[in-house]
Formats: sequence, C-alpha cells, structure tokens
Amino acid sequence: MISRVAEHCFWMARYLERAENTARVLEVNHTMLLDFHVPVDQQWKPLLIISGIHDYSQEPTADNVQEYMTWDQENPFSIISSLAWARENARIIREVISAEMWERMNYYHLWMQGTTGRQAYDANRSEFYSQVRRINQLVHGIADTTMSHGEAWEFFKLGTNLERASQTARIMDVKYHTLLPRVEDIGTPVDNAHWVAILMSCSGYEPFHKKARLATLEPGTAVAEFLIYDEQFPRSIRRCLWESEAASTAAAGNVVGRVPTEAEQMIADLVGWLDRQTIHDMIRDGLHESLTHVVDTVHDIGGAIHRTFFAGEVHPPSAMPTSMKQTQTLGGMTQTQA
Amino acid sequence: MTTLTSSRYPPSLNGTPVNPKLFDGYSPHPSAWDELFGRTGEPYAHCSTLVERLGRLSTTEFHTRRSNADLAFVNQGITFSVYSDRRGTEKIFPFDLIPRTIPAAEWTNLEAGLIQRIKVLNLFLDDVYHDQRILKEGVIPTELVLGSKGFRKEMIGFSPPGGVYIHICGTDLIRDSEGHFLVLEDNGRTPSGVSYVLENRAVMKRVFPQLFHDIRVTRVEDYPHRLRDALSSVAPASANPQPYVVVLSPGQYNSAYFEHSYLARHMGVELVFGPDLFVHENVVYLKTTRGPQRVDVIYRRLDDDFLDPEAFRADSLLGVPGLFRAYRAGNVTLANAVGTGVADDKAIYPYVEEMTRFYLGEEPILKNVPTYICARPDDYAYTLEHLDELVVKPVAESGGYGMLMGPSSTATQRAEFAAKIRENPRDYIAQPVVTLSTCPTWTDEGTAPRHVDLRPYIISGKTTWVLPGGLTRTALVKGSLVVNSSQGGGSKDTWVLENG
Repeated sequence: MISRVAEHCFWMARYLERAENTARVLEVNHTMLLDFHVPVDQQWKPLLIISGIHDYSQEPTADNVQEYMTWDQENPFSIISSLAWARENARIIREVISAEMWERMNYYHLWMQGTTGRQAYDANRSEFYSQVRRINQLVHGIADTTMSHGEAWEFFKLGTNLERASQTARIMDVKYHTLLPRVEDIGTPVDNAHWVAILMSCSGYEPFHKKARLATLEPGTAVAEFLIYDEQFPRSIRRCLWESEAASTAAAGNVVGRVPTEAEQMIADLVGWLDRQTIHDMIRDGLHESLTHVVDTVHDIGGAIHRTFFAGEVHPPSAMPTSMKQTQTLGGMTQTQA
Repeated sequence: MTTLTSSRYPPSLNGTPVNPKLFDGYSPHPSAWDELFGRTGEPYAHCSTLVERLGRLSTTEFHTRRSNADLAFVNQGITFSVYSDRRGTEKIFPFDLIPRTIPAAEWTNLEAGLIQRIKVLNLFLDDVYHDQRILKEGVIPTELVLGSKGFRKEMIGFSPPGGVYIHICGTDLIRDSEGHFLVLEDNGRTPSGVSYVLENRAVMKRVFPQLFHDIRVTRVEDYPHRLRDALSSVAPASANPQPYVVVLSPGQYNSAYFEHSYLARHMGVELVFGPDLFVHENVVYLKTTRGPQRVDVIYRRLDDDFLDPEAFRADSLLGVPGLFRAYRAGNVTLANAVGTGVADDKAIYPYVEEMTRFYLGEEPILKNVPTYICARPDDYAYTLEHLDELVVKPVAESGGYGMLMGPSSTATQRAEFAAKIRENPRDYIAQPVVTLSTCPTWTDEGTAPRHVDLRPYIISGKTTWVLPGGLTRTALVKGSLVVNSSQGGGSKDTWVLENG
C-alpha cells in the first residue's frame, strides 16, 4: 500500500487509542478522588505529567485539568484534539477504511465539536468518559467486521497496540507521581486503593482477580506484574508489544528467510528486555525508571516504523527521500508522537 | 461545523397554523422556462407523475425529509472545504430535494450533441498540437490559439496514448426562455462535481424510495466503472497487463478532496498525492510499503501548471518531478491530457460551431450562446458600448470568478471592467444575459422558482459515453443567475426519464 496511506492509518489508530486512554485516566481519577483524601496538589497534576505536559500554567484543579485534557483544542493530547486528528487522518484515507468506520469517526468528531458532547460532559462526567471510551471500542468493532484485513489493517493494529503499550506504562506511572516514595506508605489503604484505581483505568480489575497466583504477592507488585507481564490481558505491555510485533511482521510481509526490519528488531529487543527480568527486579531498580524506559523505547520504535514503512526507504536509491523526521507533518500541522 | 437550521416551520399566519402542500401556490418565473411546469401552470406530461407524487407531501413532511437528507450529508462527511478558513471548515453543498427532469427524447438529442462536440474538441486539440490546419486555413485566428493561457507548446508533436485529449469533460448547458438548450462553456481541464451527482442520487433514493418505484429514472451509478474502463482503455502500450490507474489529488485541503476520494473509492483505485509518486528512468512509480509500484494511468485533479516542477511551475510542491518527461516518453497516460485548456478557453469557445463544420462537415447539434470576442475590433466596440446589457467573462477563469453581470452592475464596476477590457481585450468575452430556466426549489419562502443550469459529464476512452443527466446546479438566491457552488449555489438531482 501507499506509504503515506499506511502512515495515516497508523496515526488514526494511535489517536483513537489515545482518546480512549485519556478518557480512562480522567474517569478513574475522577472516581477515585470521591473516596480518598489525597493532597490537592497530588490529585490532578500527575495526569498532566504522564501526558508529557510540564508547562501547564493554570492551577491544576479538577475542573481545570479535566477541561484542558478534554476540550482544549490547542492541547494535542486532549480528547477533542485526539478525536479531531483521528478523524482527519481517516478523512484522508477514506478510500482505505470502511464507510462505516469513517461515518462513526466523523459522527463523534462532530459530537465533540458541537453542543451535544458538551452537554453530556456537563450532565454526567463518568458517563461522558465512558462514552468517549466506547468510541474507540465501537470503531474497532466496526473495523474488525467491515474493513479488509489486509495491510492497512495491520497498520491499524500496529498503531493501536504501540500506543496502548505506551499508555499503559504512562497510566502506571501516575502512581509514581501521586505518592511520595516513602517506605512507610507502602501497603497502606490509600496505596492499595491507588493500585485498584490503576487496574480499573486499564479495565484490568476483573481479569486481575482471576489470576490466583497474583494473590500471593504484595498488592502493588501483583498489579504491576499483571499490567506489565500478563500474557493474555490485551492492555498489558507485553501483550501489546507482542501484538505490535505480529502486526509489523505481517505489514512487512511474511516471507520465509526475510531479514527483520528495523521496526521488528526494536520491538523484539524491548520484549527481550522485559523477559530478561522479573517484576521484582524492576521494582528493585525503580518502577518509574523501567516505565520511562518503555515509554522512551516505544517512542523510538515509532521512529523506526517511520523509517521502515513511511519514509520510502524501500525505494530505489535514486528516488530515496532524505527526510527522516520523528514527527509527521500533515499539511503544515504536526502529528504529535507522545 | 455545519449547522442545520431552517426558519420556516412551524409558520403561523395570523395565528392559525397552516400546512400547505409542496406545490400549493407555486408561481413560475414570469419569463424564464420552467423545468416542471408549462406556461399553462400545469406540469409537463413527462413529469406529471413526479409533480403529483411530490405534490401530495405537506411542506412539513417535505421539510422533515429535507432535514434527513442534510443530516445524511453531514454524517457521511459529503462536504467541501472553504479555502479562506485555516482550520478547514467544511460545508455541505446545499441540496434541493425537488428533482429536475429531462424527457428521454430530449436527452437523446443532447447526448448526440455532446458526443459530437467532444469529438470536435478532441480533433481541434490534435490539430493544434500537430498540423495546425485550422489556423493555416484561417478559421480561427492563430494568435488567439497560440496566445491562450491553456496552450502548451511542450505538447507540440506529441500524441497522447489512444489519441484522447479530453477524457473527462463537463459541458455547461443552459436552457433559454424558449426552452432551447445552449452550451454556456466547456470544461475540458479538471471538471468537478460528478460525485455530487452520484451522492445526490443515493440520498434521493434513501429519502424517496417510492418515487423511484413509480417513475423510471435512468441510472447514474455506472459512472465510476465507466471512468475506470475508459482510463484503462487508453493506457500506454508498455503498461501492466491490468493497467494500474490512480487518482492524483492536490491533497486533503483541496476543496474537492471529497470528490477525489469518492472517485478513487468507487473506481477501486489508489488515491495519491504528488509526493507519493516518483519518476525513475521516465517511468512513474508509486511509493508503497513494499517498494515501488509502476503507475500506468493518472487521473489527475491537478492543473497543468502544478503537474511537474521540472516542466511547468518550478515552485509546485504538489506535482511530480519528471512526470512530463515520462508522459512524453509514452510511459504514462494523463487524464486529461496536458494542454486541453486551449480548447475550453472562453475566447476559443465561440469558434466551436465553426470547428464542427471544419472537422466533421456537419452542422452542430448544440448551439452556443451568442458571444462577443473582445479580441475582434467590432465585438470589442460593441461590448464597451453595451456593458450594462452584457455578461462579461474573463476567458481563463472558471468557477464564476471575475465576472461582470451588466444589468445588475454599478457604474463604478462597469468603469473598472471597461478599463480591464481596454488593457487586455484578448482576456475577455461578452454574452447577452440569458434568462436561465428555473425549477421549483424549496426556499425559506416556500417552493419558488430558482435558476438552474446543467453540467453533463462526458467520458472518452476508446469510446465516448455520457452520464445520463448530470449535475443540475441551482442559484439559491432569488433572481440570481450565478449557480456556481463557490458562489453559494446548490444542486439538484437530475432525472432523465426513461419513458418521458
């Protein structure tokens, strides 16, 4: 398929996934704070930090942060921006995705841009976030049943899983930024409640409790192990990386004896890095540092995917473009790789 | 974002709710030809069923269906972008649900006229870029042709694959107050609007399924396949066994991007942008995730100027360096061919009737609107003296830009135009104001006559085919004769009636 089209497909999936995860983290924070007294400066600021926003100039109150992360069109990580960019990427490749996918993305983009989305937000915050989460779920369902499962589909899956791996790492990192790392805090009710909240924001609460083995571990360790290492849970980092690996292999063509692409190699290296250690090693060396490594490496993998598939390096040397940018430009506007 | 509003209902005259039927109180235009109603006020025989069926609807019911149709356009994103807005505001092309009809017999004649005309234009282009017989014999002034902005000297001596220059033509027709169809202009470069014909029909079928059950309307849905077949039929000799066809768009911010995407989807071909293509040893390739793919036919929606920075405008970022070389080497088909602008130049247009006699020895089936060519001394003088009665058009523009509507102009505007014409007579033509025909159209004041034109689409590959009907564009402002979408016009579904 056309490199540029593959790139739009990849980014459409990433933005959809990003909108869903932003809604997840806002929703769970919103709910969690109803039960626990967390110092005000720790309530909402972590949500900005995990999105890589360090220059927020307003008071990080509940309303300000939610407003900023939901509605601010200038904020490239807000839900409204993510959905607008997902839809813009979709608009450009309407000839590749199914009509139903396009119509739903267009519909929810207009829903956000018009008054109805805002009314839902004002009327019932939790329900609003659930609705946003369902957008991505709906589009994935439609894609699964109406879009050809060819190369474009592999880029759709690649974008989804890569973004999700990064988002799961970010959501877990909220924990690091929320509580001061004092040894006495470990195992307190607040600490455990936070782990539960993080599980829930990844829809992992019930699947986690079905894993009997995890009950033998201290709660924080158990949740971290589940969200990083679980082989079956679709939002665990390892599972997302496996899916990414499979999608990038399929996108590059399943030919026996083919040399792995740079993208496949880098994903495999990150999986190997996870496999060589246990959750105990990670906690000993610092969970935050490990999660940061995941986020940074996923970012680099994005660059490798760009070089492998989108930048046109598979073409004859005479026609090879010279640019190897990390971010993609779209008619003068930049797609933001978180 | 597009908002759907109408101030019309519920109306209340002296406090009493009223709900008239759709055509109640419809009063045709005093002098224009009406597309549905005869001079007697009765519908023509060929559309009496349509008027009777639609006429059963109350205005409230009609309004509901109209809202549904608009919502369908918004949700499907059938929109065009407004250039002035950086954020890329998208608007729907206003659509009127009352169709415009053409009886079968009349269509047959129009179709024959259009096929004759495209044949002539194609022969003219071939002649202009080869022997220039028509210039040597003095039928058309040489300087008019060679001085045209659309003339490309780079095309001299080159024959496009299959000998076809204008693969897709949109010929604008109008109907005068006597009911005669006349050619207003030819669009032989990159005519747009056909996606609206197809989408309008799809929406009409959804909103009024029963009408299509009761009335036999000629299908339009074959257009994309016809286009693909025509393009494949004129692929270069060295092409892939199954010619690889692409649609080349200037990009997602182009106002017609929806149409580019629509046509690619419905033809089942790739939609590409200039930077997706490259030329290697005079062969055009598409950059794909698995390596280069040879391209044989390019349906380009990009003007000549922007096609290839090596050959034409060097600052074009939209084009493909080397594309024209590949074209001249005979390795790729461009549709339309480069240099067709000389045939749809408004200063050449008045000669098409003469060309028909010259190339075919036939009388033209379709007539032109009488035209004064400012490059001719007599016409120049007449135009300057009668500016208040004429429509003055710049010859190289399209989209209704830069025109003077004499009767509604101010003295200042006329003075400005007179100055422009004196400076560059070659750049202007003038025509008497033709009262375009009208069609009943839903407005804020109820059903009222609005002026319409008709743009049929003619596809030429090895053979020529005309899309039955075409795009009926309608001025939405009362009395306005300007129907262009860029100037606030809307559109209607056009029904060629099989039993009409």
